[in-house]
Amino acid sequence: MNAVVINKIACVTALGDGVQSLWQGLVDGRSVIAPLRHFCTENYVSSLAAGINNLAAPSGGSRLDPLLERLASQLGEVPADTPLLVASTKGEIDRFETARRAGEPLPQSVLFESLVQKIARRFGLRDPGMNINAACASSTIAIARGAALIARGQAESVLVYAADILSEFVFSGFSALQALSPVACKPFDRNRQGLNLGEAGVAILLMSEDCAQQQKLASLARIAGWGAANDAHHVTAPARDGCGLILACQAALDKAEIVSAQIAAINAHGTGTLYNDAMELTAFNQLFAEGLPPLHGIKGSLGHCLGAAGALEVAVAACALREQQIPGTVGCDQPEEAGQGQVSLAAQQISGDYLLCTNSGFGGINAALVLQREAL
Amino acid sequence: MKALITGIGWVTPAGCGQGRQTEEQPLQPGALQIPTRKQIFPKIDRRFGRLDDLSRIGLAAVTFCLRDAGIEDWQQKRPLGIVAASRYGCLQTDLEYLETLIPQQGKLASPNLFAYTLPNCFLGEAALRFGLTGNSMIINRQDSGYLTALKTGLEELTWSAQPGVLAGIVDLAPAAELARQDDLPGSLFLLLEKASRTERGSYGELELQADALFFNTDRVVNLSQLVANCLKGKKFPAL
Repeated sequence: MNAVVINKIACVTALGDGVQSLWQGLVDGRSVIAPLRHFCTENYVSSLAAGINNLAAPSGGSRLDPLLERLASQLGEVPADTPLLVASTKGEIDRFETARRAGEPLPQSVLFESLVQKIARRFGLRDPGMNINAACASSTIAIARGAALIARGQAESVLVYAADILSEFVFSGFSALQALSPVACKPFDRNRQGLNLGEAGVAILLMSEDCAQQQKLASLARIAGWGAANDAHHVTAPARDGCGLILACQAALDKAEIVSAQIAAINAHGTGTLYNDAMELTAFNQLFAEGLPPLHGIKGSLGHCLGAAGALEVAVAACALREQQIPGTVGCDQPEEAGQGQVSLAAQQISGDYLLCTNSGFGGINAALVLQREAL
Repeated sequence: MKALITGIGWVTPAGCGQGRQTEEQPLQPGALQIPTRKQIFPKIDRRFGRLDDLSRIGLAAVTFCLRDAGIEDWQQKRPLGIVAASRYGCLQTDLEYLETLIPQQGKLASPNLFAYTLPNCFLGEAALRFGLTGNSMIINRQDSGYLTALKTGLEELTWSAQPGVLAGIVDLAPAAELARQDDLPGSLFLLLEKASRTERGSYGELELQADALFFNTDRVVNLSQLVANCLKGKKFPAL
């Protein structure tokens, strides 16, 4: 098995462009959840979301287009023989909505094949690419697949590109499901009322350790383990006993060849919905029977970025391992008792080499990654 | 990377079916009939009526595939995965949901339809009905041979502890402006298993070498040819 390292990360979020803006905003405890101006929200249960500044669609295009440009400019060159794994749940949903509302024919760009080809072209990749759709675990599973390709020697590098944008289509749906919080969301808080949506783009370049050394690229962190499992319980609600998440985490720990006591911290999915957060705490309490490590979630700052959520959290986790600190969980004023005092509004110091990242989503899917700190 | 093909099930313009009951290759263009509950499940099933059409054909094909492999019934959850390739995903459901959103500026947006505006939701439906706890995902990749899900499924099997993966395709007929000549509306799944369950036998061995698929050592050109070869040459032990 080849060691898998993260070489480059580019990100665009409501906290700004670049990993440093993201990390500093989170450590400072900032929330960028604010009233939406993209569309009228008066008929929805919330008016709040975390939108990216200055992300306007070009004429006849999608807001994903400038997002791609901003990410590509940040990331720089990628080897042309790099396979591409895209993780997006709704792709160019704004183009779909605009065309349909105008009574126009749907453009080819609403298909994922077109989106993936556009991304591959922008990065100059020979591989036509593949989109992975596993709801809110899409980019976690894409990173897992990328890591597996490298670990098994089937690729020397893999580009994972994750992006989802705010749209009335998705916003109205979560509102109809009564899943949106009318106030800024409060992950793992006793008084949480639901989630807020966000939007983000993240590009992560994975490489084999040998390839990275040959190219003299520094490693930001390692992907040491990965796992995915389905609850086999419900299409939109998580299994209350966390059975799928436990299976996914255990698979990731096994792949990393570590035990749960070696995990220094958890970056949880933490959507702020009643059932998701309760399910996660149930699962973590079973996995970490000897006591929970420090745990946090970032959706109180940035909202839920859907298909991009997992990749965004990996970017944060790489910083957290390097700095030996996790940001606070914005909105968590009164942590759930099941959090054992390990969830906090304030940033927390951590000590160790491994961090667990998890995501769960519609369709009953759960995915987990174990990140390993790069040796100093 | 190798696996045995132990079950095949489908819903296509040729109808609903499973591999051990026919020799006719079912993948073909044409008009797709969405199966009724009675064509799939003998008992009353309240959930089926709530599913969108993509979920109905996907769930039906998974059901026929597991039935064909003799593992439809279950007592304990099992770590089988699902990989489904789709060109159009849930585009039809997206259109139907948008029709509930536009009038009255969102007041009438349908939560039930929205729940199916992620194409992987039918994988969750299949998982809960059949206790499938492996990895599950929808993939979109340009692939005129319709083999991507099989390649991905074989990789999943090799890289994980899952003993089996359902791999296949699922698509409804798209909006006319998006349609292509090589579209295959419908859904078809193959069950790929690491080990043989000797009482049912298998259709043969599928192998991935580099980026090429081989069935019983013959190069696989596309999914239709693979399924035709499976159905034509099948020999199973008497049960």
